[in-house]
Amino acid sequence: MSATREIPLFQVDAFAAETFSGNPAAICPLEAWLPDDVLQAIALENNLSETAFLVKNGEGYDLRWFTPVHEVDLCGHATLGSAHVIATHLEPGRESIGFMTRSGKLEVTRAGALYSMDFPAQVPTRVADAGPFAAALGAPPLEAWVAGKNMAVLASQADVLAATPDLDTVLALPGDGLIITAPGEDCDFVSRYFAPHGGIPEDPVTGSAHCVLTPYWAERLGKSRMTARQVSRRGGELTVELRGDRVLISGRVAPYLEGRIFV
Amino acid sequence: MPCELQIYQADAFAARPFSGNPAAVCPLDAWLPDAVMQAIAAENNLSETAFLVKIGNDYDLRWFTPAYEVDLCGHATLASAYVITSYLEPLRRMVRFHSRSGPLEVTRDGELFIMDFPTQPNERVKDTAAVADALGTAPLELWSGMDLMAVFASQAEIEALAPNMAKVAALPLRGLIATAPGEDCDFVSRFFAPGAGIPEDPVTGSAHCALTPYWSERLGKARLRARQLSRRGGELQLENRGERVLIAGQVSLYMEGRIQVPEAGLEVAA
Repeated sequence: MSATREIPLFQVDAFAAETFSGNPAAICPLEAWLPDDVLQAIALENNLSETAFLVKNGEGYDLRWFTPVHEVDLCGHATLGSAHVIATHLEPGRESIGFMTRSGKLEVTRAGALYSMDFPAQVPTRVADAGPFAAALGAPPLEAWVAGKNMAVLASQADVLAATPDLDTVLALPGDGLIITAPGEDCDFVSRYFAPHGGIPEDPVTGSAHCVLTPYWAERLGKSRMTARQVSRRGGELTVELRGDRVLISGRVAPYLEGRIFV
Repeated sequence: MPCELQIYQADAFAARPFSGNPAAVCPLDAWLPDAVMQAIAAENNLSETAFLVKIGNDYDLRWFTPAYEVDLCGHATLASAYVITSYLEPLRRMVRFHSRSGPLEVTRDGELFIMDFPTQPNERVKDTAAVADALGTAPLELWSGMDLMAVFASQAEIEALAPNMAKVAALPLRGLIATAPGEDCDFVSRFFAPGAGIPEDPVTGSAHCALTPYWSERLGKARLRARQLSRRGGELQLENRGERVLIAGQVSLYMEGRIQVPEAGLEVAA
């Protein structure tokens, strides 16, 4: 029986204007890597969509993400949360942080309370037959697009809020999950993202969906910098910017919990 | 300024870390608006978050899932007693709670926390077809009470069960208990309640209100040791006292911290 070890634990809400909105993530800064089964057990105990583990490596940080059941290759919101924990608690005031991950190097920059990440744009292509989208939504969308994820464009924010997609039908679509989007009432566009293929009926806020949404809306609205809301039950707020073949995704991080765990 | 609260996360019915049934416990000075407690429980995303307010020498206790308030939760009560006797009143050994389900008492004996619950009586059911279909294998016996209880011959059969959750959800009653004699304890069980949003519960105190009288009679003894064979696993000590069942387990502390509740939430709810 090994001795109990104390590890700091933070829980934050990413892409949140205030606590209880946005996408929650747990962040555990470590002095050195623990065995993978311990990291997995911590993520299961936290029971959030993702727990991020950080180990400082030179000027940057090694970063790994675990869901309650397995390690994942990429998680935007837990990366944003990790940058907040570093800039608030570990290295107060730091404005640029490089993370080494399974998906290569990720850079988060901070300007005041806004944290920004740089991702590849995923330019969607128009789908001629919107029939399967109509089946999933119960009504035909104005337009159907795909870029890894499926994207249905609706007429209004009210339509996006009222949509109740049939998740079994979403599961049968080619591509990963279904984004629905429309012009926003107090922002440039709104969206929701349904990901039953990943065991997530509806994701609270989805950075990766905005890699598809941003090039579409930039073209349609004729502007590169936009404000967006993901109008899930928890709700999320993002600022996005198209920069050639990259998308800069920015959001605030709201603190919720600061504590220690006993492992 | 946001309001700061103390929070604990502990695993109930856990003899070791990362096992048992996790619950969050928030001791409060006074009740918060229901909407704020619901938001805290949703943010924690554990099966239950318990909120405590000391009233005289006792505690008022309420339990919230991520979606709504519930009438009774054994494992979060055990975890609450752990927090009180470990942190809030370290000399205390008996705690009386007042809850939606009336008064509940927990006694601490060393590392063991003991709760006193009413027995759940069972009646034998002849037709096992629907349960056999849901579990993929026919039980030796089927009993009905607050839940359905399917009795099998061996621990290996319980471990191997892979229920069809849609069919389990379609059964009457709250959930389905599967049980058999244990290899290194008196009996083992698993508990499936997909109709209540819980495909499989890690450890279920209330299921043992039905399991204890059954195994007590069958094995001819009042005190029993049991394991719940979920992925996390749980260990319980039980005693049949006729109309009542004593359910005891250890608690393993996982996390201690402070949470921030936005001022806006308090204002809106107030």
